[in-house]
Amino acid sequence: MEWSKVERVMELSRLVGITVAADEAVEVGDRLYALLRELESLGSLDLTDIQPVAVFPDENEDDG
Amino acid sequence: MKMTAEDIAFLSAIDTAKAIRARELSPVEVVQAYLARIERLDPTLRAYVTVTAEAALMAAREKERVLLSGAKCGPLFGVPMAVKDQFWTRGTLTTNGSRAYRDFLPTEDATVVARLAQAGAILLGKLAMSELALGGTRAPAWGITRNPWDLERTPGESSSGSGAALAAHLCAASVGEDTGGSGRVPAAYCNAVGLRPTYTRVSRHGLMTACWFLDQAAPMTKTVEDCALVLGVVAGHDAKDPVTSRRAVPDYSSSLKRGIRGTRVGLIRELHEHPDVHPEVKSAIAAAVETMRGLGAEIRDVSIPLIGIAGALYIAIGDTEGAGACDELLRNRSGDLDPASRTRLQAASMVPFKVYNRAMKARVLLRRQFIEALSHVDVLLSPTSPYPAPKHVELTAPFVDSDDLRARFFFRRAYTGSYAIAALPAISVPCGFTSNSLPIGLQIGGRPFAEETLLRVAHAYEQATPWHLRRAPGALAA
Repeated sequence: MEWSKVERVMELSRLVGITVAADEAVEVGDRLYALLRELESLGSLDLTDIQPVAVFPDENEDDG
Repeated sequence: MKMTAEDIAFLSAIDTAKAIRARELSPVEVVQAYLARIERLDPTLRAYVTVTAEAALMAAREKERVLLSGAKCGPLFGVPMAVKDQFWTRGTLTTNGSRAYRDFLPTEDATVVARLAQAGAILLGKLAMSELALGGTRAPAWGITRNPWDLERTPGESSSGSGAALAAHLCAASVGEDTGGSGRVPAAYCNAVGLRPTYTRVSRHGLMTACWFLDQAAPMTKTVEDCALVLGVVAGHDAKDPVTSRRAVPDYSSSLKRGIRGTRVGLIRELHEHPDVHPEVKSAIAAAVETMRGLGAEIRDVSIPLIGIAGALYIAIGDTEGAGACDELLRNRSGDLDPASRTRLQAASMVPFKVYNRAMKARVLLRRQFIEALSHVDVLLSPTSPYPAPKHVELTAPFVDSDDLRARFFFRRAYTGSYAIAALPAISVPCGFTSNSLPIGLQIGGRPFAEETLLRVAHAYEQATPWHLRRAPGALAA
């Protein structure tokens, strides 16, 4: 049996240790699924040699 | 001829400082002029969360004594400023826009606040913001902040109070904050100037975290010249924020008037030509391009292919980090949060690591595309926002479904969020009005640490156009 979006949200919230109110689960699910759908295209990018740095070093940058 | 209290509040920060140094105005009368306006206009606009009237008047009296003693005055001496309620202020309520911090009294000033004070600025108070520097707060704890250009509309988020206070002349200058556009968008919606400096240019010490590697203090001002001055005051290395750059801080004001003859300006095709850009915004940007051409700039067409998904990348990265920063809040006190912030951060808590990791890598690719484009041009242009300020009811309406969410949530964020995640500086300057008198913002972006160039281009454009001179109806209200 496949889970509904709300059921998935409730299970995920349990796993990450937060409480999602039943009347807000649809909105939380919509937000999460919309983001995941929007980012599906990242799967087609070649990201193999890229490091996910948080802060870019400022050495060797142009001064503009 | 003596200036009236109204005249005083319409001065730029630089002109205010000049008049005080020349003893044409006293710091006390300047502060009193602003406090009178705040008392009269802010019950409607709700730009301020806290007005520090007594402390401001005390500081002004002290400045008068300093002035009479002939001691050296800082560049912002006597200038009444206000900061977003995301910056720590010692002993003064700092809410981060949330009921969760309704009792928070920091024990020290943020570095930005301390540097403004060292430069002689007088703090008028703390400015409203959307909760936790997110957006779309449905029931703001301290009331709805209104746009002086149209009270039914948002002044922009999340530095809402900074935008509204500048448009209504309730402070001479402000420092907001920009995680993904929170300084530039309110500037655009309120006909003000807003700068996101290069990440690491300005200390984040004492800035309450939205996303630690995207948050940046954002000078927000009435003019580009004021913006250059405020940036020069707050920029520079800070031992309390180890990631701040050790590069010397240039005199941003000195090169403002060099003009833009020969400057190569790139118009970002994907942002300018998007079919959902408001037609009057598109026309205003096209006119701005022609103005720059007339000033001697060389205009080029530029493509940044990944910019279309930058809004979603920004949410994947910024919100996920934000959910991490607010973990304790989400676990134990989520009832203190507005439903819009709560559901947004809860969704972000569930983003799979694989998606977050890809977004972080795609961010690096996006930055490479920006840097490549900027190897052919000096600055990039686009609208700051693809549409003018929406109505409050449109902004805060619950999403109908995930398609509605995609259209309303990700699209606009590509315009400003792209620079944030690429760690590049960008400035918004007034560039016209819609037929119903709503301000339009022009965004000028550049290479890392190219703030001097951005300010020079922005200043040349500002001085060639009349937009920054127009006053909001909400600033003139009786």
